[in-house]
Amino acid sequence: MDELYLDNIDEYVNDHNKIVTYKWLSLTLGVHVNTAKQMLFHYLDHKRKESSAPLHATYLVTGKWVENGNTSHKVTVVREEQLEDVKSKMSLTVSVHVYSVQKASLKDSGPLYSVDYDAVKDNLNSCSRYSAIKCADAVPFAPGDTRPAGDSLQFPPPDPNQIRAPSFDGPGNQTTSKPAAKPQPKGIMGMFASKAAPKKQEPGKEIKVEQKEDTTTADVSKSKSASKSSTMSNFFGSQATKRAEKTVKEEETSSSSVKDKSESSPPAKKLKETPNEEKVKETQPKEEKVKETQPKEEKVKETQPKEAKVKVTKEAKVKEAKPNARSKSKRKEPSDSEEDKMETKKRRRIKKPQSDSSDDDDVIPDSPKQQEMRKPPPTPERLLKEKIVSQPNECKRRKRRRVMKSRTFMDEEGCIVTEKGYESESYSDSEDHVPSAKASNVPARAATGKREDEKKSKKKISPPANKGTKQASIMGFFQKK
Amino acid sequence: MLNISLLILNFTMKIKRYLYIYSLTTSCKFYRLSIAQDLNFGQVVADILCEFLEVAIHLILYVREVYPSGIFQKKKKYNVPVQMSCHPELNQYIQDTLQCVKPLIEKNDAEKVAVVIMDKEHHPVERFVFEISQPPLLSISSDTLLSHVEQLLRAFILKISVCDAVLNSNPPGCSFTVLVHTREAATRNMEKVQVIKDFPWIVADEQEVHMPEPRLIPLKTMTSEIVKMQLYVEERAQKT
Repeated sequence: MDELYLDNIDEYVNDHNKIVTYKWLSLTLGVHVNTAKQMLFHYLDHKRKESSAPLHATYLVTGKWVENGNTSHKVTVVREEQLEDVKSKMSLTVSVHVYSVQKASLKDSGPLYSVDYDAVKDNLNSCSRYSAIKCADAVPFAPGDTRPAGDSLQFPPPDPNQIRAPSFDGPGNQTTSKPAAKPQPKGIMGMFASKAAPKKQEPGKEIKVEQKEDTTTADVSKSKSASKSSTMSNFFGSQATKRAEKTVKEEETSSSSVKDKSESSPPAKKLKETPNEEKVKETQPKEEKVKETQPKEEKVKETQPKEAKVKVTKEAKVKEAKPNARSKSKRKEPSDSEEDKMETKKRRRIKKPQSDSSDDDDVIPDSPKQQEMRKPPPTPERLLKEKIVSQPNECKRRKRRRVMKSRTFMDEEGCIVTEKGYESESYSDSEDHVPSAKASNVPARAATGKREDEKKSKKKISPPANKGTKQASIMGFFQKK
Repeated sequence: MLNISLLILNFTMKIKRYLYIYSLTTSCKFYRLSIAQDLNFGQVVADILCEFLEVAIHLILYVREVYPSGIFQKKKKYNVPVQMSCHPELNQYIQDTLQCVKPLIEKNDAEKVAVVIMDKEHHPVERFVFEISQPPLLSISSDTLLSHVEQLLRAFILKISVCDAVLNSNPPGCSFTVLVHTREAATRNMEKVQVIKDFPWIVADEQEVHMPEPRLIPLKTMTSEIVKMQLYVEERAQKT
């Protein structure tokens, strides 16, 4: 391979003082992400041998993480110093690759997201052009095409008793291309079993092995998502009989996903995406038969799967937060957080028109939906925070109470995240650093001051701008909140 | 022509501001833009800049470790995570400072806003200088203007985050202050009219301003229709 890329990366890192992530590099140079990862690795290797200016690198580590008896699939970005530590703590390391290279030693993971933000935004229509995650069924709708997906896929409506078996046979055949092809056990658990198998086969840590792993996991996830979409699409074949099956199915998927907790981004994304698709399509049949008695039944049953789905996604997010809270590293699910942000925004948009249309018919069953819907809009950033702050800390923050400070199981480097939970609650932590002239007054004021600050910063209004005017009454109304 | 309109608007500012506040409270920045035709464009630009300066100051304090990182919390601005302090007094100080600076920016009197980091003896160690200039004919014309400006400001934020690669580390026990360099004699008005009660601005001492043998490190430049801004760091050659 020609060596020009080394000079390119050198220019970006040393001359421009940029943070070069593999995603940014692949979009900038127009290469596949795996090539970009290899480029960064070689560059780092090359520079380390030359021993010139100090370079810092971050790595993306994926693997199985066991915590308190719970196993989860963890994807984390770690600093180079913590790499060996995290790898040794994982029960099974699935993949390790270079995430970014930069001159500066980053204090937190925020800039890593910023770097990719603009690059992805510029290539929004084709941001997955060079991605290693592919799904043949994920084809955007043609403009003006409003038919539900079920018609286009043309799956025959399956027998209620055999709902799982036939729907899995079709797309299951796609996995024959996978090198380790196995007879798929029927049912949803079969999907997870077959996915776990290739993981165990390849505990390698080299990049080449990791590449293969990417493709196998991509294949498995592709088949899983394909089969999921086919099962979802079956529902649109005949609506009346499928409602009952759907609730059963959704509860099963939610329970199985809770059990397994495999949270690599493609299946999680697909799980969230298909509920979105479903909701979009459901508005259409609903609007068609507004005055029938059916809508009421459908809505009651809809709220159940929706709650299950929302629970699944919220559980997924909370569980992502849980294992990540324990990691001793800079953490971030790079593609997850972006996708999740987009998902929550997408979910918000799609849910809103639905609740508007169904408001007329029945208010009571919709209120739990609306409450859940209200949660995402005020707190899209809070979801991001939720992932970063561990769950018990989040509860503490809401109550704004000083809670036990005994969570000292973190060493200094990891504390950046968990300390924040305490910081907002108990000012006594920062009193050690901040001049303690007003130590006694600060804690009492801090709790209220912080609450106001949060409101101020979240609202994006500039209240100080209005301090001098006589419209205090208007601002007073909002500040009371 | 714009100056005359500015004068007239100053007199009618109270009434206009009512609309302005209402528009702010109902929705986001883009709504503000639609009512901007009735309003002073300078006010809109000043708001954008002051919001940006607030975020930038917090980030500088975080990156240069002026205050312990425990008081900082991740918040979202321009769709990216930024570190903002939670300490109420610090936040209040920064907000009061910027509120006083805002009228100067509105009138395009502020030439530079400098965030100066000083050591224990109150000698400047580092200076982050934001040079601001606004074009004489201010017009907010295109729809994509705000998102373009947001993108440029995001780049500034990113540059501040990685500036520790090009700067030497500061000695412990540093504090910070904000200096504003104004054009002409705009500060005369500031001394007469206290924008915020009990928050006086004074002319800076020579000791606080002068830095021996400064090293200049440019960080970022941006040019847009509404504002031109440049950020560079002046660093003392020997910090400890």
